[in-house]
Amino acid sequence: MASAANLNAVRETMDVLLEISKLLNTGLDMESLSICVRLCEQGINPEALSSVIKELRKASDSLKVKEIRCFSFGNFT
Amino acid sequence: MAALDQKSPNVLLQSLCCRITGKSEAEVAHQFQYAVRVIGSNYAPTIERDEFLVSEKIKKELLKQRREADAALFSELHRKLQTQGVLKHRWSILYLLLSLCEDPRKPCSRVAGYGSMFAQALPRDAHSTPFYCARPQSLSLGHPERSSTLGTSGISSLGTHTLNGPTLTPQALLSGAPAQVLGDSLRQPGTRLAWTLAPGTSPSATAPTSRGPPAPPALAARTQLRPRRDGDENGEIAESALVRDILYVFQGIDGKFIKMCTPENCYKIDTKVPLSKSLRDLSSRLSELGWLHNKVRKYTDARSLDRAFGLVGQSFCAALHQELKEYYRLLSVLHSQLQLEDDQGVNVGGECSLTLRRLLVWTYDPKVRLKTLATLVDYCQGRKGGELASAVHAYGKTGDPSMRALVQHVLALVSHPILNFLYRWIYDGELEDTYHEFFVASDPTVKTDRLWHDKYTLRKSMIPSFITMDQSRKVLLIGKSINFLHQVCHDRTPPGKITPGSKDIDSPRDAAELFTDLEGAFQGKIDAAYFETSKYLLDILNKKYSLLEHLQAMRRYLLLGQGDFIRHLMDLLKPELARPATTLYQHNLTGILETAVRATNAQFDSPEILKRLDVRLLEVSPGDTGWDVFSLDYHVDGPIATVFTRECMSCYLRVFNFLWRAKRMEYILTDIWKGQMCSGKLLKGMPELSGVLHQCHVLASEMVHFIHQMQYYITFEVLECSWDELWNKVQQAQDLDQVIAAHEIFLSTIISRCLLDTNSRSLLNQLRAIFDQIIEFQNAQDALYRSAFEDRKQQREGEGEWGVSAAEEAEEKKRVQKFQETIPKMCSQLRILTHFYQGIVQQFLVLLMSSSDESLQFLSFRLDFNEHYKARDPRLRVSLGATRGRRSSNI
Repeated sequence: MASAANLNAVRETMDVLLEISKLLNTGLDMESLSICVRLCEQGINPEALSSVIKELRKASDSLKVKEIRCFSFGNFT
Repeated sequence: MAALDQKSPNVLLQSLCCRITGKSEAEVAHQFQYAVRVIGSNYAPTIERDEFLVSEKIKKELLKQRREADAALFSELHRKLQTQGVLKHRWSILYLLLSLCEDPRKPCSRVAGYGSMFAQALPRDAHSTPFYCARPQSLSLGHPERSSTLGTSGISSLGTHTLNGPTLTPQALLSGAPAQVLGDSLRQPGTRLAWTLAPGTSPSATAPTSRGPPAPPALAARTQLRPRRDGDENGEIAESALVRDILYVFQGIDGKFIKMCTPENCYKIDTKVPLSKSLRDLSSRLSELGWLHNKVRKYTDARSLDRAFGLVGQSFCAALHQELKEYYRLLSVLHSQLQLEDDQGVNVGGECSLTLRRLLVWTYDPKVRLKTLATLVDYCQGRKGGELASAVHAYGKTGDPSMRALVQHVLALVSHPILNFLYRWIYDGELEDTYHEFFVASDPTVKTDRLWHDKYTLRKSMIPSFITMDQSRKVLLIGKSINFLHQVCHDRTPPGKITPGSKDIDSPRDAAELFTDLEGAFQGKIDAAYFETSKYLLDILNKKYSLLEHLQAMRRYLLLGQGDFIRHLMDLLKPELARPATTLYQHNLTGILETAVRATNAQFDSPEILKRLDVRLLEVSPGDTGWDVFSLDYHVDGPIATVFTRECMSCYLRVFNFLWRAKRMEYILTDIWKGQMCSGKLLKGMPELSGVLHQCHVLASEMVHFIHQMQYYITFEVLECSWDELWNKVQQAQDLDQVIAAHEIFLSTIISRCLLDTNSRSLLNQLRAIFDQIIEFQNAQDALYRSAFEDRKQQREGEGEWGVSAAEEAEEKKRVQKFQETIPKMCSQLRILTHFYQGIVQQFLVLLMSSSDESLQFLSFRLDFNEHYKARDPRLRVSLGATRGRRSSNI
């Protein structure tokens, strides 16, 4: 039962964190958030983690941009 | 959850990558590698591990976004989170969320679809975020895409740091600002890493596209300028590689491309390396710093082990080291910055935070400083001690305040040991100058009797230029006085008692500042020490060693000031001195001297002085009489021998000899006059003698006149005047040197006025000849009187006898006739003597007239008061006024 109570507490915590995350407009969904929380709990530097996330996002953005650009260049030529 | 918790960070990271990019595991392999590298690096946290602080920041952020309700909601949620003790690193997750926080009102680059791309393509002013407007124009070097980065990072506090970062950094480094701030401001750029999906990806997404969609050639040109990590197709080196090289070069280590070129003595980029001209120029400009560093470093390295370089040199090296340490601190910060970028493993594209241009800006001030140091090193080459301090001081005379501050700082360190020497010297009289750096030099071979004169000298070259010659002389004198007191006067007064000011010896720091304000405190200190020490020394000499009494004794005995004593001594000595010099014995003369002392006022002098009075016989040459070799002597020893040196005493002896001789002439003439007076009556009965006697009288009075005038001149115009001057000077003297100088001036004046110096040798010779004539005259007159008296005696005897035989009568007649015959002989002898005498006097007068000394001219005027000689010699007819006029026109 203890583990069940624990699980409850964890869920509640996650809910609170998700709320805060939404408040702050971080753009993290539940799954990413839970991964982040676990990483943080393992003592990873949050600064590094945040920069990784940002770069990952930028990378995926620029991928899209690239596709778009290729497309537009194609139009020009 | 527990099972999940056991998952390794790598697995978690991978799933995070997949989640965010929305791709499969295989596709995100590259990003995953990057993520692992960043997370795994020794990325030092730059933030406080404080939950409260982070939550406060979040609240502030929300408030800034004008979402007060949300801020309240957040505090509620945060409170809830705190009640559940599930999370161990609450601050960590909160911080992460804060970092990822975005203002929903801002255009968000994360959702950069077409919109964000076109936004970037617009002129930069189109962005109107408050940050952007606040950013100084000069900061935008090579960071056209900064605005978007700022947008994503959105951490206001860090953002403002970054804004101030580049300009702040170099100054902060120089002024030695807290390392924390430095670290932050330098590391911040690194947190916003540019990210491109793959190394080969075109950076055009972030390229400045102010001219709309760029044409392909233009794009190519752009990409060439854009530095790459591993070089691009053209084989050019990336800027980051150059930056790394430059950082090595800054420390004087050869880089991969930039190497020391020994023949030309400068850093050069390998000419084979393909590189654009601008980069080449930039890096050669930067590498100058390395060259300067090498120069300074080489100097300090060469000197640091050289002990003979001395304390001043060592402290100069220490000052240089301090500056170099500051410089190394800058380098280490730059290095850690570079390290950071490496650890991120990012292809540092256009957003590279360490560019050559940036380095150029950041290293501008250090370069100026190093340049100053390097010129200083150049200028100080081969100098040490005070000379070195002068050299540094010369560089402080600049209008550039920062350079002046630097040089002042170096000067403060360099002058510190000198000041230490100085204080030791003027307060304790100790000279601990092993390496001959101080401007006072000591000669250990000099014995104590010459201590004042020869032992300590000024090393002119070692006088720092901020200490004037006058000050250094005073400094020399102070220490010398202290040493003199200790070693010669055996005065054991602790130095603290002599100079009450010496107690508050400054701390070194204060002391260094003293040099900058030389007119004030430093001068005051030296003056105070000077006055106190000198005064004390003179007091000791006057009271304990009765210097002034000795001076007066010299005047009285050696310069014949004590008339009754000299006269009596001469009376007593006359029979002794008339004998040949070889038959004189010192002990006889000493006995006579003592008798003379006891019989005259000299007996009331202190025994201390009388004890020192002695007779001295000069070297005997054949034919000398006692008069020629006799001399009085005065023994001096101990401290007063510093004033009455051996040279001084020999001067005294020479003057004594001259005065003694003149005195003797006076004495002889007195005798002559006495003889004339006594015999005048007796010889009246011999009319045949009257002509001769008249001649004698005339000549004698001429001589008396001459000698009287000479004596007047010597006594009043030479001795008394000079003595008065000396006495005044000695009374007013502030230090022993002034006493000695006054005494020396006194002696040299007397010597020259008494015609004893080399210039008036001819005058002196004439005077000697005159003296000789006087002696000769005395002999002649004596002979005359002798024969006259003999004749008279025989006449008397003859008159008293009765009944003389014819034979006797004849004999008597013969004798009378013989006597009669001697009279013209004597007459002619006298005439010759007079002629000679007058000739010499005339010559003497001519010489006196041509002398440049005014008092001698007046003497000649007095000697020839009735213009007898003037009538005889046309050379003397030039009037005094005329000669003076001529002389002044010559001048």
